[in-house]
Amino acid sequence: MNKIIIVDNEIKEKTLDKNITITTEKNILDINQIKIKVEKDADLILEYTSTEKTKLDIYINIEKDVKCNIYEIKNEGIYKLGYKYYLEENSNLNIYKINNVKEIKELLIFNLNGEKAKVNYILKTISKDEEKYDLMVYHNAKNTESNIINNGVNIKDGSIKFNVSGFTPNGIKGCTLNQNNRIINLNNNKCTIKPNLFIDENDVIANHSAHIGKCNEEEMFYLMSRGINKKEAENLIIKGFLLKGLHKNKETMENIINKYWR
Amino acid sequence: MNCLKIKDLTVTVNNKTILDDFNLEIKSGEIHAIMGPNGTGKSTLTKVIMGDPNYKIIKGEIYFNDKKLNDLEVNERANLGIFLGMQMPMEIEGVTNADFLRTALRTKNKNFKLYSFIKELDTVVEKLKMNKDMIHRGINEGFSGGERKKNEILQMYILKPSVVMLDEIDSGLDVDSLKIVGNSVMDYYKEEKPAILLVTHYQRLLDYIKPDYVHIMNGGKIIKSGDASLVPKIEEEGYDKITETSTSVIEENK
Repeated sequence: MNKIIIVDNEIKEKTLDKNITITTEKNILDINQIKIKVEKDADLILEYTSTEKTKLDIYINIEKDVKCNIYEIKNEGIYKLGYKYYLEENSNLNIYKINNVKEIKELLIFNLNGEKAKVNYILKTISKDEEKYDLMVYHNAKNTESNIINNGVNIKDGSIKFNVSGFTPNGIKGCTLNQNNRIINLNNNKCTIKPNLFIDENDVIANHSAHIGKCNEEEMFYLMSRGINKKEAENLIIKGFLLKGLHKNKETMENIINKYWR
Repeated sequence: MNCLKIKDLTVTVNNKTILDDFNLEIKSGEIHAIMGPNGTGKSTLTKVIMGDPNYKIIKGEIYFNDKKLNDLEVNERANLGIFLGMQMPMEIEGVTNADFLRTALRTKNKNFKLYSFIKELDTVVEKLKMNKDMIHRGINEGFSGGERKKNEILQMYILKPSVVMLDEIDSGLDVDSLKIVGNSVMDYYKEEKPAILLVTHYQRLLDYIKPDYVHIMNGGKIIKSGDASLVPKIEEEGYDKITETSTSVIEENK
């Protein structure tokens, strides 16, 4: 499988087939920019490790009619990342992202530029300190679809902010915008979710949900009614919550979960 | 011989009395069916026995043998051998049935053997004519109403409780599934001789699970008890008539 390993602000290792091209440059603020272009169907692993502070801009371009799955994992450290995704006509991008970091700020901008472009985005994070995610999804072409899922669990000093905005201008018909944001707040720290939909068109399907709380009481009752104690029931629910929807990187998440909830 | 005893139990939710001086005793090998109009406290009864924290016991006691259950946690009650097959079993995303049952069994039995567990699971899945892959799916995730009810019976078989409460286990079941579920409960009854408390609205379940006692509940208490012959009478006359007669008898006796 295609794989890029990024350590701090540099690409440490890459194994890519000819359908994926990658270039790097610095912007005027001297921040490294990594530009990835996917020209044919591909699976790609993006693995990040930060020993200190990582600051990066990442551009990902999915060409016309291309389907791409990105499996992303971030370990340790402090991150400040900017992502820009460009999806051309009839392209399909699935992102399965796991964050297990010290601190993070992410700005993600999705540009659905071609008709019938589709993005499915799943984030799973275990927050131990401050985490902030700003996501902006621009439906710039007709019949485009975005499904955004942000799931986080707060432990230790963790706190999470999800700001998710979907945009559909007038005349861009037939789009689907779905957002589902949920935080299980185990430490009572302040968390916020701002689910925004800026839609200036009638012919649109849009859903958004936001939930911050402890483990669901009814789920706890159900599990405990089979003899499982409170702590174990909570662990099962959290494990299920963090694994649900992940694909090939499920095992990675399981290993992380086992570190915190053994 | 195990005995579940409910004594003078009064329960409220949001200051509304749901169970009112309720009394009932169920012994091993007995099957009790509770029937009654909607909203009379039948499901509440099963949840209170199981220890649902949403219900507040104002007065009265629940005993399992000599052990008072009132202050026990839900899992402690389950580990004593009490089981509730729920009316609307929860869907829990991401937690597989296999993981869930393995965890429950490990808690209960320190000598848990994985091979025996898998073998038994296969047998019960086949008995209930369930799809084999369901066991590796999230708990009740994407299950139909009937599949959920079968899943409850599967859990009963695996956990081997000595008190089985089944809350409207017949709802959502088609004719064939009802037969499978009904016969499976009876097979379990013959094998393990548990005390069974059934909550149901319909005679059709009782065609398979034959109750020794039938109780009619209204206003949070039992207003009439009898044997299985009470069931066709309910079907024929409806609850209203029976409720009216019973209430007037109670009034006269006051």
